[in-house]
Amino acid sequence: MKILLACSSGMSTSLLVSKMKDAAREKGIEAEIWAVAQDKAESDMEKADVLLIGPQMRFLFKKISKVADEKGVPVDVIDPISYGRIDGEAVLDKALELIQKKV
Amino acid sequence: MGSKFTETLENILLPIADKLNNNRYLGALRDGFMVALPFIIFGSLFVVLANIPFLDKIISENALEEYQSILGPASASTLSIMGLFVIFGIAYKLTQQYGLEALYGGFAALASFIILTPQVLEGISGVIPSAALGAQGLFLGIFTAFVSVEIYKFFVKRNWTIKMPQGVPDAVAKSFSSLIPITLTLTFFLAIRAIFSYTSFETLQNFIYTLIQQPLTSLGSGLIPTIIAVLLIQVFWFFGLHGQIIVNSIMDPIWMTLSLENLEAFNAGLERPHIVNNQFVDTFIVGMGGTGMTMAVILGIFLFTRSRQLKNLGKLGGPAAVFNVNEPLIFGLPIVMNPMVIIPWLLSPVIVTIVTYFAMASGLVPVSTGVHVPWTTPIFISGMLVTNSIAGAILQLVNLVIVVLIWLPFLRILDKQYFRTEQTTTKDQKQGRDDKIV
Repeated sequence: MKILLACSSGMSTSLLVSKMKDAAREKGIEAEIWAVAQDKAESDMEKADVLLIGPQMRFLFKKISKVADEKGVPVDVIDPISYGRIDGEAVLDKALELIQKKV
Repeated sequence: MGSKFTETLENILLPIADKLNNNRYLGALRDGFMVALPFIIFGSLFVVLANIPFLDKIISENALEEYQSILGPASASTLSIMGLFVIFGIAYKLTQQYGLEALYGGFAALASFIILTPQVLEGISGVIPSAALGAQGLFLGIFTAFVSVEIYKFFVKRNWTIKMPQGVPDAVAKSFSSLIPITLTLTFFLAIRAIFSYTSFETLQNFIYTLIQQPLTSLGSGLIPTIIAVLLIQVFWFFGLHGQIIVNSIMDPIWMTLSLENLEAFNAGLERPHIVNNQFVDTFIVGMGGTGMTMAVILGIFLFTRSRQLKNLGKLGGPAAVFNVNEPLIFGLPIVMNPMVIIPWLLSPVIVTIVTYFAMASGLVPVSTGVHVPWTTPIFISGMLVTNSIAGAILQLVNLVIVVLIWLPFLRILDKQYFRTEQTTTKDQKQGRDDKIV
């Protein structure tokens, strides 16, 4: 399972990445999770099963979802409350839900 | 604040953010500066090393001169001629967006820019004045990158290319396929150069510098425009939108040019002309724990609050705040859409901008030298590096105290609210447990 997070420079989402990795380990899920800056989101998307955007960059959603639809990668904006709490588990659940919905 | 009002505002702001961030040219501009950033920071590092304060008191004048001449080329080949890197970066990224061979787009822009650059200095021909590749040429370079890529694209899309028969190696075919578009693009700029040589401006560079760059940079260096730009950043963040990404995409060319002009003056041993520049905003307004100077909020939380929610937030957001990453705080306090904090959120940066401006205008704190530090550089270190003086760090400390004081009453109210809810919920829980026991 490959989860890609994107924000302006990949800094604040990388905080979330380590928490999500912890949550995945606890649940016994094997997941590759990484964060990128917005200019790399489109090229890295091909390697991902799901793409989540930081809420402060939610204006990217329209542009990115166009590309993502073509590539069949589900995209969503991370919920601001989970983002503020750096709630790795909630965001991981969201990612899993999006992947399952697609299947 | 009525929810209808905030809703209306968000409906206005979101499309603006969308337009500005996703605009093709502004996007290429932002990415182009990103490409140049490692080179800019490399040059900055050596400017700092070459100008360590008090070095002249430790070693002899001759030794200092020798030392500086050894380090000098580091910034002269990167930071001072940053235009070259930015132009190539912008053109490369823009061509890439069009799905064309980005390397050719980048080099076509670079060659076009050199064609437009004066190639004579004080009567000596065959030289390119390095100033023309730095501050003076930055705006021309940005325009040239946009225009040359558009022209290049125009001819490639028209299929004005030389087609190679099958069996010709791909690389050979590629080099020929870009031959006609590049030839036409560069010829266009050669013609522009020729036309301008007959005007009183003599060069397009001079034309753009006088008519666009100068007016824009002098406008952008004013106190009021700076306050407006800073306020806009705060307003966007209040709605949970990345303010700098949006506002800086417009302001960066101006702020970077101002920094570069300061650097040229610093290297020449002259007085730095611009108080407001990239570092003024990056280091003294944003670089104090992140946008809105939230290091002060973290400090306030640790010193003056007792609710569990705020304490936890401080622990969660503290380490990131050292490196000016503050999304946990912005979304966690929350600052986003929270009417309780809108006054300190908007007021603090305005006050700090004014204090910083006058601290520098009065000469108490030196104006930034124009060196670029990564935006993740911790508070106090960043202030010291960009002003080349301990006074820069002291100014950050003063600003920090000011922001803590502005936030304090509001943080207290917030803390009381959270504390009360925590008390009642724990009481309820206790009661619930007692009930079970009974």
